[in-house]
Amino acid sequence: MLKSWTRRLFAGAALSLTMFGAGMVPGMASAEEIVLDLWSRADRSGPLRAGNIIAAADELNRMLAAAGSDKSVKIEVFENNAKGFDDDALDMMKAFAVDKGPDIYVLAHEWIGAFVEEGYAYRLDDHIAANPELYGDIIESLWQSVSYKGGVYGVPQDSEVRMFFYDKEMLRAIGKDEAFIEGLPEAVNSGEFTIYDMTDLAAEVVAAGVAQQGILHRPNVGPDFQMLLASFGNDIYDEENNKLQVSEKGLTAFFEWLKYAVDKGVIPANMTSWDWDSVHAAFRAEKTAFIKFHGIWNVPAQLETRGLDKDTYFKAIGWTNAPAAEKGGMPANLSHPIIYAVSGKSEHPELAAYIVGLASQDVLNTEHAVTTGHTPINYGQTAMPRFVEEGWALRAGAPMLQYSSFMPNHAMIGPYNGLVYKGIQGVETGKLEPADAALFVIEEMQNELGDELVVLD
Amino acid sequence: MSAQSRQWQNMAIFLGPAILLLALFFLLPVMVDVFVAFTDMGRSLKISEMTTANFERMLTGDRRILPTLALTAVYVFLTLAIFNVTFGLILALATTAVPDRIGGFFRSVWLLPRMSPSVVYALLWIWVASPTERGLINQVLHGFLGFGTIDLRTDYPVMLIVIANGFIGASMGMIIFTSAIRSIPEHLFHAARADGAGPLAITWHITLPAIRWPLSFITVYQTLSLLVSFEYIWLITNGGPFYDTTVYALYVYKRAFENGQYAYGAALALLLVVIGIGASLAMWRFFDMKRLLQHPRIEVH
Repeated sequence: MLKSWTRRLFAGAALSLTMFGAGMVPGMASAEEIVLDLWSRADRSGPLRAGNIIAAADELNRMLAAAGSDKSVKIEVFENNAKGFDDDALDMMKAFAVDKGPDIYVLAHEWIGAFVEEGYAYRLDDHIAANPELYGDIIESLWQSVSYKGGVYGVPQDSEVRMFFYDKEMLRAIGKDEAFIEGLPEAVNSGEFTIYDMTDLAAEVVAAGVAQQGILHRPNVGPDFQMLLASFGNDIYDEENNKLQVSEKGLTAFFEWLKYAVDKGVIPANMTSWDWDSVHAAFRAEKTAFIKFHGIWNVPAQLETRGLDKDTYFKAIGWTNAPAAEKGGMPANLSHPIIYAVSGKSEHPELAAYIVGLASQDVLNTEHAVTTGHTPINYGQTAMPRFVEEGWALRAGAPMLQYSSFMPNHAMIGPYNGLVYKGIQGVETGKLEPADAALFVIEEMQNELGDELVVLD
Repeated sequence: MSAQSRQWQNMAIFLGPAILLLALFFLLPVMVDVFVAFTDMGRSLKISEMTTANFERMLTGDRRILPTLALTAVYVFLTLAIFNVTFGLILALATTAVPDRIGGFFRSVWLLPRMSPSVVYALLWIWVASPTERGLINQVLHGFLGFGTIDLRTDYPVMLIVIANGFIGASMGMIIFTSAIRSIPEHLFHAARADGAGPLAITWHITLPAIRWPLSFITVYQTLSLLVSFEYIWLITNGGPFYDTTVYALYVYKRAFENGQYAYGAALALLLVVIGIGASLAMWRFFDMKRLLQHPRIEVH
C-alpha cells in the first residue's frame, strides 16, 4: 500500500516537474507554439505599436495554418509603464542584462546605437535585402534613423512632424490681418520671421490679455529641444567620427533666447515643473496659451477638445517650423521615429524580423498612423483611401518634413539631452545666466560623456 | 549537552534571525555597494574592469556634491528642528494635556499622513501647492482672500519639502513622546501641582527632564532617516526646480538610476554610508546614548 502511494507520488511529482519545466523553457511553450516576447512602452500616443505586432503574428499564423503547418507563433506582450522613452530604454537594458530581454522591442530610434553596442540588436541588412516585397516601399530617408555604424538595426514604425501650434483666433483678437496670420509659416520658412520675432508676437498676445502664456514647451526631456538647438545653428553630431558635439557659443545663444522669452513673460519661469496635462489643457481646452511647441500627433486631441473638424481646424490653429534664430537662417524640424528592433539575443531572430516586416505593411501601419497622428512609413500609404480621408492633417504636415532632421543614433544621446534640459531648467528658473548655463552643461557633459564628446569652441 | 554548547544554541536561536536579517539587508548591501563602486558598471550592468575612476570623478569632476550636501544639512536640520522633534513634542504635550478621547482623536489625525501611501500623500501635496488656481493654497489665497497666486514648488521649494516631510515625521516623535510622558509617574505631577507649579513649570521641570532619552533617540533616529530618505521630495518636486531640492540621497538615486551610471551612483552612495556612520557616532557621543542603554530611564515604583 505504502509502496504504491510512494510510486504514485513520485510519478505525479515527475509529471508536474516535466510540465512545469516545459513551460519554463524560453521560446517554446509546446512543440508547435513558438513564443516571442514583445516589449513596448505603455503609451497613449501609440497603442498599436504593440497591437500591430500581435496582428502581424495572427496573420502569420493564418498563413501557417493555410500551409498545413502545425506551428504557430504567440506574442507575449510586456507593456512597460515608463514615463518616457529614455526611461523605457534604460529599463529594457536592465532586463537584457539579466537575460530577461524581449525578442522584439519598440524603441525610440536614437537608442539603437546603445543597444547595438551591447549586442541587443539584430542586424537586419540581410533580412531586408532578402525581402524587398516587405521593405521596398519604406520611405528612403527613414532608414537613416535605424542605421548605426553602417548597419541597419531596426524598422521605423512611424515618424512625425513637430511644430509651433499657434492660435489664430488670438492673433485675430489683437487685430492681425488674415494675410499676416496665414503667411506666418512661409515667413518662418523663408527665414524672415525669426524666433525672436515669434517671441515678440507672443509677448504682444500676452500683453493684450488674450493669452496667459505666450509659448509652452514640453515639461520634460525630449527631442523638441534638439529642434530648437538646430534653429540656433547647433550641430550636435559628427556622424563621420560618431562623436557628439557641443558648442558653447551655440548653447549660449539658445539659452539667451530662453531668458529673453522668460523675461518677456512669454515662457513661464516654472515651465519645467508643469505636468503634461496642464500643458495640453492650456492650449486645447482652456485656451490660455498662444503657442504650444509639440508634435503633429496632438491634432486628434485638439480636434476633440476644441470641437473642430478638418474644415475648421486650420481656421483656428496654424503650424510653423521652429523659426531660425537670425534673419535669413534656416528653420528647423525634427522627426523622431519610434522603431521596431529584433533582439540580438533572440532564439528566433529571423522569425521575429518577419513579424516586424508584416507589421510594417500599409494597412496595419495606416491604422496606427491615422489614429495617432503619425506620418506613414511607406510611400504607398499616402494614396490609401483611409489615409486620404483621415490623414488630411498628416498630408498637410508633409511639406514641413523638408526641414526635418533626426536625432543622432549615438549611444550617449540620452544623457546629452538630459543635461541640455538641466541647462534649460537652470535658465528658465533664473538659477543660471545663459553663459553660466552653457558652461554648466558643457562641464557636466565632459564629466558624464568623456571621450564621446567634442567641445567645438 | 554542555553548558557551552547550550549557550551557543541559545545564541543561534535568539540572535540568529536578527543577525541573519542584519547581514542580508544591511551588511550585504553595503558590501555590494563597495564592490560596485570600484567597477565601471553602466547602463548594461556589465563590469569590464575594476577602477577607482568613480572616486576620482567625485573628487575632481563633480561640482554638485558639495551644494547637495549643504542642502541636505539644511533640510535635515530644519525638518528635525521644526517638525520631527519640536512639533512632535508639542503634539505629544498638547494631546496628553487634554482628555484622553480628544487627545487620541488628534493623534489619529496626525497619523493619517503616515498611513497613506507615499504616492497618494505626494499627489495631495502637488495639488495643495499647484501654482494654478486649482491648487488648494491658491484657492484660499486667491479665491477667498483675493491675493495673487503663489507657486510654492518654484519659489519656496525647500520650505515645501520641509513641511511635507515634517507633517509625516512629527507623528513618529508624537507617539514616542506620548508614551514617554504617559510613563512618568502621576505622583510627580500631583506633587508639583500641590507645590503650586503651573503647566509651564511642570513641563519644564518634570516632563522634559523625564523624556530626555526619547528626545535624544528621536533626534538620532530621525537624523539618520532624513539623511537617506528622498521619496517625498522625488515625488513632489523631483529635486527641482533645477537642483534646489536635490538632497544628497536623491542626487545619488538620480545619478544611478536616471542615467544608468550604477557604479558612480554606488560610489556616491558610499559617501552617504560614511556620513551616516559619522553622524551616528557623533550623536551617540553627544547624547551620551551609552547611558541610555545601561540604566532605566524612569524610576517606577
